[in-house]
Amino acid sequence: MFLEVEGVSKSYDNGRVRALDGAGFAVAEGQFVSVIGPSGAGKTTLVRILNGSEQCDAGSVVLAGQRLDQARGRAKRSMQKRLGTIYQDFALVENVSALANVLTAAVPDMGFFPAALGLFGPDRRDRARRLLDRVGLADKADTPVQDLSGGQKQRVAIARALMRSPALLLADEPVASLDPVTGRQILELLKDIQRAEGLTVVMNSHNLDFARAFSDRLIGLNAGRVVYDGAADTPDEALTAVYAAAPEAAP
Amino acid sequence: MTRRRRCPGWVWFLAGLALTAAAAWFTGCDVGLLWARRDHLADILRRMFPPDWGYFARVWAPLWATVQMSVTGTALGSFLALLTAPLCAAGLGAVPAPVRHILRALVQVLRSFPALILALAATFLFGLGAFAGTAAITLYTFAIMTRLTYDDIDAAPDGAFTALTAMGAPPCRAFFAAVLPRIAPSYLANALYMLETNVRHSAILGYVGAGGVGLLLSEKLSWREYEKVGAILLALFLAVCLVESASACLTAIVTGRRKAGRGLRRAIIAASALLFLACTATVGPPDFAHASLRAVGNMLLGLVRPDWAFFFQGGTGGLGWLLLETAAIALAGTAVGAALSLPLALLGSGRLMPRGAAALFRLIPMAVRSVPFLVYGLVFIRATGPGAFTGVLTIAVCSVGLVTKRFTEAIDGMDMRAWDALAAMGVPALLRVRYALLPQLLPAFGSAVLYRFDVNLREASVLGMVGAGGIGAPLVFAMNRFQWPTAGAIAIGLVLMVWLVDLLSARLQKR
Repeated sequence: MFLEVEGVSKSYDNGRVRALDGAGFAVAEGQFVSVIGPSGAGKTTLVRILNGSEQCDAGSVVLAGQRLDQARGRAKRSMQKRLGTIYQDFALVENVSALANVLTAAVPDMGFFPAALGLFGPDRRDRARRLLDRVGLADKADTPVQDLSGGQKQRVAIARALMRSPALLLADEPVASLDPVTGRQILELLKDIQRAEGLTVVMNSHNLDFARAFSDRLIGLNAGRVVYDGAADTPDEALTAVYAAAPEAAP
Repeated sequence: MTRRRRCPGWVWFLAGLALTAAAAWFTGCDVGLLWARRDHLADILRRMFPPDWGYFARVWAPLWATVQMSVTGTALGSFLALLTAPLCAAGLGAVPAPVRHILRALVQVLRSFPALILALAATFLFGLGAFAGTAAITLYTFAIMTRLTYDDIDAAPDGAFTALTAMGAPPCRAFFAAVLPRIAPSYLANALYMLETNVRHSAILGYVGAGGVGLLLSEKLSWREYEKVGAILLALFLAVCLVESASACLTAIVTGRRKAGRGLRRAIIAASALLFLACTATVGPPDFAHASLRAVGNMLLGLVRPDWAFFFQGGTGGLGWLLLETAAIALAGTAVGAALSLPLALLGSGRLMPRGAAALFRLIPMAVRSVPFLVYGLVFIRATGPGAFTGVLTIAVCSVGLVTKRFTEAIDGMDMRAWDALAAMGVPALLRVRYALLPQLLPAFGSAVLYRFDVNLREASVLGMVGAGGIGAPLVFAMNRFQWPTAGAIAIGLVLMVWLVDLLSARLQKR
């Protein structure tokens, strides 16, 4: 399997808050997987562990045969080079251009001094512009991100993630701060790119309709445990365990 | 695909650096000299602390006069500004456009003069004493507050005003109903900020005989009674701390960051009114003994018929040269001040330092800020002698207070989400600073430095009064000798310089 997650646990505040409690699943290459569950189920913590932002307390994360959870320093950074992440709040540098934001993704591949001086070279610039074109923002390359709409910002973030030529794309509630119409457009773009490039996508979503419509498979988290793992077109009754503890969040 | 080649940031950075280096060379900056004479400075500091505790009793009366001048001046100036600003605002159409442009130009001219020069002019009209100082602070506050307020009015959406006038409401009433409530928080916050700066400004007005603690300061400094200077500065620091914390508390209330009940509000309004009345009622009456209509006429005539020969005179004694020196002092001083502020801001940020340590480091810029800038001039002159270099040092130290504060605010306001995202992509920490933090900080730093440069330009133009170079000395000499045409020429030069720098910094701000 391309991504193998086994028995991952994580707690905060000296064990008082248990975000993940022995979660485990495996994802084949090229799959579009949605992680669903109520707020506080541990979805965001899972993404932060999968992209190396946080260490898990127990368990293992194996990406393409390598242990990500045990990698440190340079080895970890070289594994992170194969990951792209997009976030609910975009996590862009707001007051620089869309192009400059996409180019930051090229920084890990460059030497220190060229990177510090911003000498990206024509090849990387061309690639960044092509990616902005791919997400439909060719004419916004030089616009500061703060002047873009929410949907456009998420497009910039997708272009930035693609700049890494990632093997695995992680998406943490990518459309939760967008209106439904824009959200659907963003997910259509994501799906389109995933098919064309054969990307593996793991997406968090509290919107069950979107998760069903765009993914090959659902993973249901509840209180840090995997309580459902199966087809996306399953009937609602099969998902009762996912939303059991938090009935108000049920669809 | 559009491909605009823009000048990269580092070209601007290098150009600024080169300009600053040129200014430093022009003003004769010599770090070696300062280091060689460091004992002089250390000696003065040692003698100031511990201060002469017994002298405190003598400080209270002039200190009260200083606070009095700033409270009355700020209140009157802000009130007059509120009456004038609607006439200057473009959106309201209160007066025909030409009148508005003339009003704006007059405000801009008034804004070019430092409070000290206004105070000197006021002493010729109202005699020596606190009345002249109050008049100067009033004018100074009026000019700045008018500008800030009409900018606010122009920025406020005018839909409600248009709707009310369309319903037949008279413009004046529509203004009170629709525009005033919108600009009130920012107006009050600006007025409180003016009060803070005015306390420091009025502390030096005594230097030209316009009352307050300044006269005492310059006297004790020139007699080298540094123990007493220390006592005065300590008292001033306490007064500034008191005013600043009161003002910070009130600002939080008027901007809605802190809730205040109806009773508390009424108490605050009553207390403010009482303070204003107490301050205003006890200001000494003006002394018109030496003023005459002819003197006033001559003064104005000097502005209308300036000494053009001096205005266009070349060489080292000419107006152009002196103005250039003033601008160079301001530029080099601002640059050095910004360089000093950066480490202080990093140390004072609650983000990077433990809370207690950060609070301690925040006291340094506050203490530095409470000392009036001419005092630094008079102290540095003992070490580095008269000349432009002393001016640069003075301006540099004065800049530290405000610039550090703005830098710290920028650091505390950083958005760390992009930092986390870059970390997840495997970008090393130093490059994360370069790509996620610097783009956020540089614009804030830039605007803080530009704003301070604007202030420093005015301060540099009075430094000459203590022998620290620039246009100040010739201006004050001319005024004291009633050579109004020369003073007029200098004043016009000053106005032009400030206006030019305003235009430049507005263009830089846009970038």
